[in-house]
Amino acid sequence: MKKLYTLLAVLLVAAMLLPACAPAEADCSSEDVFCVGLVTDVGKINDKSFNQSAWEGVQRAEKELGAKVQYIETADSKDYDKNIATFADENYDVIVTVGFGMGEATVKAAGLYPNVKFIGVDQFQAAETPGVVGLNFPEDNAGFLVGALASMMSESHKIGAVCGTDAVPPVWRFGEGYKAGAAYADGMMGSTTEVFVVYHSDVGFDKTFTDPEWGAATAKSMMDQGADAIFGCGGITGNGAITAAAQAGKYAIGVDTDQYLTLPEAAPRMLSSAMKLITPGVFDLIKLAKEGNFPVGNYFGAAGYAPFHDLDSEVPAEVKAEMEKINAGLLDGSIKTNVPPVKPE
Amino acid sequence: MQVDTTSKSPSQGILRSALDAILIPFLAILTAVILGGIIIAVVRGNPFLAYYGLIQGSFGSAKALSETAVWATPYIFAGLAVALAFKGGLFNIGAEGQLALGAVFSALIGYALPEWLGRDIPLIIHLPLTIIIGMAAGAFWAAIVGFLKAYTGGHEVINTIMMNYIALNTISYLLNGPMKDRDPNNVIARTPLIADSARMPAIFEGFRIHWGFVLALLIALLVWWILNKTTLGFEIRTVGSNPDAAKYAGINVKRTIIITMTLSGMLAGMAGALEVTGLNFRHELGFSIGYGFDAIAIALLGKSHPLGVVLASILFAAMRNGATRMQFLTQLPVDLISVLQALILLFVAADAIIRYIYRIKSKGERVVLTRGWGG
Repeated sequence: MKKLYTLLAVLLVAAMLLPACAPAEADCSSEDVFCVGLVTDVGKINDKSFNQSAWEGVQRAEKELGAKVQYIETADSKDYDKNIATFADENYDVIVTVGFGMGEATVKAAGLYPNVKFIGVDQFQAAETPGVVGLNFPEDNAGFLVGALASMMSESHKIGAVCGTDAVPPVWRFGEGYKAGAAYADGMMGSTTEVFVVYHSDVGFDKTFTDPEWGAATAKSMMDQGADAIFGCGGITGNGAITAAAQAGKYAIGVDTDQYLTLPEAAPRMLSSAMKLITPGVFDLIKLAKEGNFPVGNYFGAAGYAPFHDLDSEVPAEVKAEMEKINAGLLDGSIKTNVPPVKPE
Repeated sequence: MQVDTTSKSPSQGILRSALDAILIPFLAILTAVILGGIIIAVVRGNPFLAYYGLIQGSFGSAKALSETAVWATPYIFAGLAVALAFKGGLFNIGAEGQLALGAVFSALIGYALPEWLGRDIPLIIHLPLTIIIGMAAGAFWAAIVGFLKAYTGGHEVINTIMMNYIALNTISYLLNGPMKDRDPNNVIARTPLIADSARMPAIFEGFRIHWGFVLALLIALLVWWILNKTTLGFEIRTVGSNPDAAKYAGINVKRTIIITMTLSGMLAGMAGALEVTGLNFRHELGFSIGYGFDAIAIALLGKSHPLGVVLASILFAAMRNGATRMQFLTQLPVDLISVLQALILLFVAADAIIRYIYRIKSKGERVVLTRGWGG
């Protein structure tokens, strides 16, 4: 017992000394110190997807703009407000919140902390809130790129896309961009490609992005009709289509981020992915914030296509060159997808 | 310092028994903290800074205290639910489902009742009704299991797990279908916001702590009173420790089992109801994930004593809440908190380890969680 009490006394002293161990922190309230914090949606910072891409943008700001950066991983959606406030209370200059789910919490925090600039990744702003910019992406451009690629790579001149519901505008833009891209490539190559695009609009929102069986079955029926490249756009439903295409030995095309990294079962046949370039988008906005030109409302980042990875040797040099040309054309505006922002009624 | 173990004065006796009761959990926490510190050091973190962040983030400011209370509120109710069942010899793994069901039905009454009646309802009627319906939903769900146990011998562990699946999938359907927020911009599986008349008033403006926390403390007192000062409590405890003796003593064992489960489910349902009326003002799919399972850990750590449950809840709440600050200061992953919690539980459950490390003699008293199969 005596030993025990000695131990407790030692611990008590240690506990009292604890605060002394806290390091002197850079003061974010100072004009000279530029601080950027990132709050993940429920998920990890190294998810090889949205969270990680956004964090890489923040890290670039650390390197190039000398920002002091920090992240907080959200473990429970109950903590959205608190996690944002943790940065805001420390007078961080910019707070990046990742994912659609944090949209409401971000707008709310902007009202409480008018001096903080908020970047909401994939949070479309229906109304403008001072201090908040939603980082969105031209999905039609991304779809256009992979549509052109699929069309140029297809031997049967039949390609498919399996998407979530077209009631969600970004999904519709991916699908329509895909069609437009294939048509553009046809015009260039003098080929005629048949494009199947199927939206999973026959079910509710709860099911449309989480139905891999339907995705796989739809992809199979397209491949039965001769399609040899399948673009999966729509969460887990799309993943089902991608995996089915890869298993059948056809070309699989991912969406949002480089899915070669996130779908290992499809990786060997992953031709490319229609990417939202989150990392440069986040970095550019941070830079604008630092320069005092922070926009409000919606900001559109760039789209791109993922590296060919394992299939790099299968892609002919001329196709690679064409893809770079199309990408450059989309970026400088000389090529247009002509896809309207939302599906016409 | 020498502790006088021969003293027999009554007040010191109570103090000693209280000390004995918290000694093992306390040492378990201490050991877990030290071991956790070593783990943090191994992953190249600074354990002192991490613990400093944890404490600062959970108790270091008014806001931190408020958030700890917010986390503790459902833990206390759900922990009491599991602890009460333990006392009655029942292992209620179903708190998760009962809690979520309580939340959904509270939300329903909260947003839909004024629509059904076509008029506003005064807070004094609407709010209590909203909470009571939530409690009733949890109670009903657990009562089914109690009934099956009493009359068919169906083991409550299996049945509560099954009932969890039924509850959680039904809720998923309701939130995606009939009860989904009808706002056209909404794509999230959640109910509409409840009416103002069903919302618990804030205690302090600008802080999220709500009266549910105060209610939780009062209910903990009530549960203690019922268990220790009433005939019903005596019956519950007797059935829990020996149903055969209880039957011989003239206690209606079947009835007591059903009542125990019902009360347990009622507490779990209340946890859900207060999350809706006090904090979120709606139910969203996944908002309560894991509370029912954390509650089992809390009841174990609190040795199924209501006061112990309150303390264990505050500890768990502090760890969950302080994790943000810890991560902010150290960039250590929040999963470390789960490691710490698991270590604490390991040492509480396997108290022989603690007794061996600190050379504490066993009193020969054992915590009975549930009496095996077919009891």
